[in-house]
Amino acid sequence: MSAVLQNLVNQPYKHGFVTDIESDVAPKGLSEDTIRMISAKKNEPEWLLEFRLKAYQQWLKMTEPTWPNVKYPKIDFQAISYYAAPKQKPKLKSMDEVDPELLRTFEKLGVPMHERAVLAGVAVDVIFDSVSVATTYKHKLAEVGIIFGSFSEAVHEHPELVKKYLGTVVPVGDNYYAALNSAVFTDGSFCFIPKGVKCPMDLSTYFRINTQESGQFERTLIIAEEGASVSYLEGCTAPRFDTNQLHAAVVELIALDNADIKYSTVQNWYAGDENGIGGIFNFVTKRGLAKGVNSRISWTQVETGSAITWKYPSVVLQGENSVGEFYSVAVTNHHQQADTGTKMIHLGKNTRSTIVSKGISAGHSNNSYRGLVKIAPTAAGARNYSQCDSMLIGDQSGAHTFPYIQVRNNSAKVEHEASTSKIGEDQLFYFAQRGIDAEAAVSMIINGFCKDVFQQLPLEFAVEASNLLSFKLEGSIG
Amino acid sequence: MIYPGSKTILEVRGLCASVSGTEILKGLDLTVKSGEVHAIMGPNGSGKSTFSKVLAGHSAYQVTAGSVLLEGKNLLDLPPEERARAGVFLAFQYPIEIPGVANSQFLRLTYNTVQTQRGKEELDPLEFDDFVREKMKLLEMSPDFLDRSVNEGFSGGEKKRNEILQMALLEPRLAILDETDSGLDIDALRIVSQGVNKLANKDNAMVLVTHYQRLLNYIVPDFVHVMDDGRIVKTGGKELALELEARGYDWVGAKHRGAAPKVVAKVAA
Amino acid sequence: MSAVTPVTATYLESLLAGQAQLAASPLAWLNTLRAAAVERVGVLTVPTLRDEDWRFTDISLLTKMSFHPLRTAINLQAADIERFHIAEAATRLVFVDGVFAPQLSNIDINSGVLVSNLAAGGAACAAHLGRHAEFHNNVFAALNTAFLHDGALIVVPRNISVATPIHLLFIATQKDVASYPRCLLLAESGSAVTLIEDYVALQEEAYFTNAVTEIVLADSARVNHVRVQREGAQGFHIANCAVSLARTSNYQSVSVALGARISRYNLNVQMAEGAECAVDGLALISERQLADTHTCIDHAQPHGVSRQLHKCIVGGSAHAVFNGKIMVRQGAQHTDSQQSSRTLLLTGRAQIDTKPQLEIFADDVKCTHGATVGQLDSEEVFYLQSRGLSDTAARNMLTYAFGAEIIDRIPITSLKQQLEQTVLEQTASQL
Repeated sequence: MSAVLQNLVNQPYKHGFVTDIESDVAPKGLSEDTIRMISAKKNEPEWLLEFRLKAYQQWLKMTEPTWPNVKYPKIDFQAISYYAAPKQKPKLKSMDEVDPELLRTFEKLGVPMHERAVLAGVAVDVIFDSVSVATTYKHKLAEVGIIFGSFSEAVHEHPELVKKYLGTVVPVGDNYYAALNSAVFTDGSFCFIPKGVKCPMDLSTYFRINTQESGQFERTLIIAEEGASVSYLEGCTAPRFDTNQLHAAVVELIALDNADIKYSTVQNWYAGDENGIGGIFNFVTKRGLAKGVNSRISWTQVETGSAITWKYPSVVLQGENSVGEFYSVAVTNHHQQADTGTKMIHLGKNTRSTIVSKGISAGHSNNSYRGLVKIAPTAAGARNYSQCDSMLIGDQSGAHTFPYIQVRNNSAKVEHEASTSKIGEDQLFYFAQRGIDAEAAVSMIINGFCKDVFQQLPLEFAVEASNLLSFKLEGSIG
Repeated sequence: MIYPGSKTILEVRGLCASVSGTEILKGLDLTVKSGEVHAIMGPNGSGKSTFSKVLAGHSAYQVTAGSVLLEGKNLLDLPPEERARAGVFLAFQYPIEIPGVANSQFLRLTYNTVQTQRGKEELDPLEFDDFVREKMKLLEMSPDFLDRSVNEGFSGGEKKRNEILQMALLEPRLAILDETDSGLDIDALRIVSQGVNKLANKDNAMVLVTHYQRLLNYIVPDFVHVMDDGRIVKTGGKELALELEARGYDWVGAKHRGAAPKVVAKVAA
Repeated sequence: MSAVTPVTATYLESLLAGQAQLAASPLAWLNTLRAAAVERVGVLTVPTLRDEDWRFTDISLLTKMSFHPLRTAINLQAADIERFHIAEAATRLVFVDGVFAPQLSNIDINSGVLVSNLAAGGAACAAHLGRHAEFHNNVFAALNTAFLHDGALIVVPRNISVATPIHLLFIATQKDVASYPRCLLLAESGSAVTLIEDYVALQEEAYFTNAVTEIVLADSARVNHVRVQREGAQGFHIANCAVSLARTSNYQSVSVALGARISRYNLNVQMAEGAECAVDGLALISERQLADTHTCIDHAQPHGVSRQLHKCIVGGSAHAVFNGKIMVRQGAQHTDSQQSSRTLLLTGRAQIDTKPQLEIFADDVKCTHGATVGQLDSEEVFYLQSRGLSDTAARNMLTYAFGAEIIDRIPITSLKQQLEQTVLEQTASQL
């Protein structure tokens, strides 16, 4: 029976192609000059260059974290190119001017870059290697005062906003990779929802790494003012290379009084081959500040790709009655390693957080949930509920749970539960006895296992996520 | 019910099977014709449950000799799902819990899979919902069963009713009920039995595997077989079950093994 | 950072100071073992908050003080320790500041079990002593091993079931003394025994108990292990216990931590095929106490069953730490493991850091863990009030019941009653 499962879990990666496009790639290596070069290429204001240089100075003093439950060879930060961009006209007047090769790439990936495309109703910012190449529905959103577009544009068009919020949730020296990102980030998405505005459509950023030697270091900043709300989606893919690429992003979310930010990710970076060769090192810092009273920040993630994932989307619950949520499905196969989870830092009174984590490990992979629930002395009446379930497929993989619970206020209530389940012979026999073959049974069990998380995703994404899992864990190629 | 001239549904000849090297079935013979209800009784460890799992094709059991034909077709060549689609239904003694998978979703998939196999139309979720609710009435099941995860947190009686509901949906040619009465209170036993009786007809056949006679008060068998040490050692009508209830299993097995009469007999003399 | 190292070295050197005066043992292997441990102490450093295993347990208070090995043993009289006797225990070994006190001890020669001082132990322990409690990476276990001299050696022969519990009483009497209690229990196949490890003090000033216990269960052996840590209020207690379970053996343990300014208990349980264990704990602390329990249940082979319930009742500005690791190794199929950590915070300044941790490398296993932290359930308090109890009485009753769930698992009636009384007094004084 394990042979059946083996076949089911070993499917190829379908986003592994490389786009043949002329690119402007910076020489490898990292120094102050590299940072000045990036800043100059983007024609940045002086304060941003200073921000970068300060981060770089901090980074030089830091060491790579060793506590995650992952193993990888030492990264040579001088062997990475910190800037890569497709060559094209500096300013695009409309989508029609986008390089047709790029358009074809994103069509192949199912990302709508035309506003009349099938997935109308979602505004998309597309990031190719280091730069944003297109944003749809920009003008329509501007009509209600929403700013949505590339980070580089925002630096020029809304410097006061960027300056006010950048680095306030994730300080430059927060951790090794956040410091690196702060020094060398190239582009990303910027989103600002003004007071009282409910964003009329889902916003989405699609990230694509194309160049073999480049790293991707994007920066996302989302601000929801008082009473504003937004649902933001993020997707990621990369070509199949036999070397590893570094992806070190920083995402900062800020929710003011009564604001609501929902951030969903379907991460499908290239995971390496069945022997663990190649794949993305995904070292990401994502943190939201629920600053205002009654604010809410919700992270949903479906993590299926990357050779190594190191990522803890977190919420700092500062405002009274603020709410933090984390819903996650992480699937690892072959030699993938994932150490992911969340941090819920309760500072304000009556703050509430919910954590639902589902880990599925197959092949020789290792999948760890690492979470921190911290209740500060000020967080009277705080509540947390966490549920972390693991599923193992085959006996060569590992599933691990590291929940840290720190409580400094006795009126708080914290509950954590974890369990393991499996897809084994008895389950498959029960399905078979009802006429259902192993492939359909596995798909049904997995989708059932992940249901609590999929329900949190916007509809289009839920379908994509479910397909992605079926694709990764069963036979039918999508 | 025995119908004259009815077709043979199941034909088992000299069946031997083992589990991790230990032989459990040691030459079992059984013929079941359409319309008939057979009861297989026997003490614990006699091989009853093994027999039902072997018929359904559980991979933990290796068939080492003998043949099993379903309506003339070799069943042993088929993987479990093909057997199910061919009309073999096993009501599990311990139905598996599948957390997260809604019962309605599971029932519809299994129903449509078997329907497709039989060249019939699939039902969409709305049509299926009407259809399954009708069948649930038969078993006095509340509709909220549909929204719960398959067997998860079900009581023993609920699990068994869910098994019979699946049987009602799949309309098997051969239904094997493995210890369906175990763990049932009297009300649940009555409901489950009524359900089974309503599903029995002249085109299908039932094999009830049970340790106790109790179930046979509700589902009246045409034949009662006694299993011992991997073989059927005695066959009779429904009255045999009553005799077993009164006298236990020892006398049948003892006769079969040719052992000395029991001490009790001496005392009586 | 650079300033830390020399301080640490000096601290460890000061602890080792008396080691050279230790008389060489006639047993060559014991001398070799001590020497190996001394060498490790030279290499290792004192853990700090930067070490993952000590992340929440600040022992700087301990490392700021200086302790020395016992210089002159105090001659206690039987009457001095009578109040610590446990009625059911026919055999009692007493160690005063780590030194065996035969005049206070009583060995029941009819029990069929071999009980003696380690120093006189000989061959029976050579194969086991220091082999289970790893000291290579554990500076406190290494220190204890470096000072190996007196200790309890218990060998329960094959198929012998010891009717009454064996009581090991470790008494601290002198301030500034570092003592190194040691225990080795060998339960041969099919044997059964109940062991009580009991740490008490006859003084209220600072001292340091650094204990190591090794328990080895052969096939189908059963060991009941009760551990009561009721050190003095200014005492420091650091203990390592290693338990090795052979096939289908069964280990039940209840550990209760009540005393000490700072205490740390490491319990490592190695599980062979079909072995079963139940590892329960209660920390009941108040004022500025810190009680840390680190356990690791390691399922290395199939069909193991483990159960763990750890409770903390934290009052005053005390700080409880729990880290419970369940490891299920590849091939340990059909492991069935349940773990639960429950904490009651009685005051606004009480703190808990808890981490129930699962590491699983086998697919056909049943593992669950859970953790809760909170105060008393207001519904339960209200229910009792509605039956006429005062708020305080209701809270006392519920707090007591919370702790009693663990105490109830102790299979020795008189000890159970004693501890229940302690819990009752302590919870009453807190509210």
